[in-house]
Amino acid sequence: MSEFQPKIVTFLCNWCSYGAADLAGVSRFQYPPNMRIIRIPCSGRVSAKMILHAIRSGADGVWISGCHPGDCHYIEGNYYARRKFYLLRELLAHTGLEPDRLQFSWISSAEGVKFAQVAQEVIQTITALGPAQRLIKQMPDAVAEVA
Amino acid sequence: MNMIRVTKQAVATALAKASKSYAIAGPVKAGAGHEFRCLGQGQVPDLEYTHTRLSPKSLLFPQAEPMFHFKLPETTGEPGDTPPAFLEAESFKEAPLAVVGLRPWDARALDLLKLNFDSPDYTDPFFIKRYNAMVRVGLADIHPDPENFSLAAGSGPFDEASVDILLADAGDAFIGKVITGKGRDFAGAAGFEPGSPDDAKAFAALKAAAEKEADILPACDRINDADTLDLYHADFWEAAAFSCINCGACTFACPTCWCFDIQDEVNQGKGVRLRLWDSCMTDLYSAHASGHNPREKGFQRFRNRFMHKLKYFPDKYGAGIMCVGCGRCITQCPGGIDIREVMAAMNAAAATVQQEVSP
Amino acid sequence: MTTATKERAENALQEKIQEKIRGIAATLLENGTVDAVIGYSRGSLSHMTRAIMAKTREDAQKLVFNSHCRMNLAAYLTPELMEKACAGKDRAGKVAVVAKGCDSRNMVIQIQENRYARDQVHIIGVPCTGMLDKAALARGVEQEQANCATCIRRNPVIHDDLAGDPVPETDPDKDRFADVAKIEAMAPPEKAAFFDDLVSGCTRCYACRNACPLCYCPTCFVDEARPQWVGKTVDPTDVMTYHLVRAFHDAGRCTDCGACEAACPMDIPMRHFTRKTIRDTVTAFGCEAGTDPDKRPALDRFELKDPEGFIR
Repeated sequence: MSEFQPKIVTFLCNWCSYGAADLAGVSRFQYPPNMRIIRIPCSGRVSAKMILHAIRSGADGVWISGCHPGDCHYIEGNYYARRKFYLLRELLAHTGLEPDRLQFSWISSAEGVKFAQVAQEVIQTITALGPAQRLIKQMPDAVAEVA
Repeated sequence: MNMIRVTKQAVATALAKASKSYAIAGPVKAGAGHEFRCLGQGQVPDLEYTHTRLSPKSLLFPQAEPMFHFKLPETTGEPGDTPPAFLEAESFKEAPLAVVGLRPWDARALDLLKLNFDSPDYTDPFFIKRYNAMVRVGLADIHPDPENFSLAAGSGPFDEASVDILLADAGDAFIGKVITGKGRDFAGAAGFEPGSPDDAKAFAALKAAAEKEADILPACDRINDADTLDLYHADFWEAAAFSCINCGACTFACPTCWCFDIQDEVNQGKGVRLRLWDSCMTDLYSAHASGHNPREKGFQRFRNRFMHKLKYFPDKYGAGIMCVGCGRCITQCPGGIDIREVMAAMNAAAATVQQEVSP
Repeated sequence: MTTATKERAENALQEKIQEKIRGIAATLLENGTVDAVIGYSRGSLSHMTRAIMAKTREDAQKLVFNSHCRMNLAAYLTPELMEKACAGKDRAGKVAVVAKGCDSRNMVIQIQENRYARDQVHIIGVPCTGMLDKAALARGVEQEQANCATCIRRNPVIHDDLAGDPVPETDPDKDRFADVAKIEAMAPPEKAAFFDDLVSGCTRCYACRNACPLCYCPTCFVDEARPQWVGKTVDPTDVMTYHLVRAFHDAGRCTDCGACEAACPMDIPMRHFTRKTIRDTVTAFGCEAGTDPDKRPALDRFELKDPEGFIR
């Protein structure tokens, strides 16, 4: 499995984790390049449909990172996100997806070290799971057998 | 008359024989009910079935049909290196498909679908190739469901008009008639035995009994002559549609609903253009790109469906109503809508208008 | 009590309720308290009822209540209907609605979500003893709907009239979530296979969505085109994505009224999705959707001590 390089769609909150990624970069903290980062206004902005869309399009994992509880730029967006992601992770696990394909973290913009460290952990965890098998959209490639 | 007979034990052997020259489809158990499926080697259709929840239209008009594939070509990325995108049309397997156990009204519905897919203006290659390659081994319904009104809708439990062979369950054997040349070929390939004059009598008796049992339609005789706009503006539509939740259950179950949508699915430089079943019950079906929707309200979409089936279609094609009376929409409607009652309401509305006009 | 006696008792109860509904509806319409009454009427099939909007005393006599009132009438309370009810009047329209326990819970949520105001609806509450399962009836078996067997609010949570004496609630200590636990005990591949099989007959007709009083987004995510979140085919991933997002969208709001399953023409038990979110909402957040008009739905509030063991 050492050959396998997972693709991880990463949603980073503009006000914290995105800054942390920036800080990790300028500070030259190393982490593997398996992430495709999408900047979002708040972890609360991420919907189930976005996560599932990433997976159906070929992501092996999805990582969402927002502000620490109490630090939300919008006061409480991350608290709602926490409830939402808890239920979503449970529901997806219930229907057969490996729960570790979904990763969550709280990283402030000052935590460049933590960002690089969590990035490594996330990549390791998802690499260990291997390529995603479930909820991936397969392109119809032949005339569908009728009925 | 060309009677045939096959004992129930011999069905599997006969179909195995036929499968040397035909692909076979038929009703099989699926979930809590039955559905039509293409059968694998040795798989036998369940001819004791009563009805399928979905109609066999998917055998000619699949819910999702890839029309062609496309992909971006490999390019060096050098300026000027832009080879044309690659398109590949779908190819078809031409093997004839024998549908065994098709109900006569469902078979009629396939002919109604053909009016849309094979018109003087356009012949749909996907539909028509399958249509021509299909052999219809019908199975008469000796005990029609109470919601079935096919006899009154221009077909019936023993309708011979749209099948190549019509079998009927006579206890330990299926007896039936070969109706067309296609049917004769299939009967030969399957090695069906010739039937006796007694079989012919038994067949006629079964037919008489089933037709006696069949429900009669509420009259829709006046709809034909009624003015389209009078019916359209009739005041019963909103109340009749109230219970309708505008889902697509009726349109997807319906053997004669033919509307489709075209979608492109693209992923990483390659894609496929798909033709998918669509439903006039949904808001998106009639929504314009401008944002305007001529059938914005649920009852308008409800009205359109029934006007299409019972008024626009007969007016346009002169082939009777676009309903074969299978009763699927009646049993499956979550809101309890019954097309027979809508017909009656339309007919009554037509009658009122006509009375007002006539001196 | 034997099953037969119990059934007779229930039928008698339902008949009494039906008479009361008719009486209340007629009075409300006659004295102008409401512009219309939304209720159940007889359908053309013996095991079906049909939603109607009664506007006159005569209409009110068509209202019925029996074990086939599976649809949730809260789903019919659309802005379009509210607007129609007040057409030609110089005040906001007001409609009366026949509501079972679960339906009233959905109305609590609709009101919390500002779908309409509490004073726009007059709730004719119905103490409910459960509905008969449509899929089982098709097999010739009379059996209670699965959601009714684990119902926690047989009596309406909010109401303006009550069409019958309250019925005893079911045992609150009963293990309501045995169905969820059974699936949770499976290994992941088994779970995947179970749910793949569950939705394999789905035709994407959206009867479950349209029957749901909580599915009222102006544009449903399945209809969104840019970006298109989910394909429109009946490919297993598209179907599963639809069911997952639909269930998740109802997380913390679903009252387990069972209208989705009752509406499904293919008899898909899609409550297995929502049951999981209901159970988690109860265990993790202590919320029972729509049981308290003063409490926002679970995903519309939070507590500092909410579980976060899954967050790095």
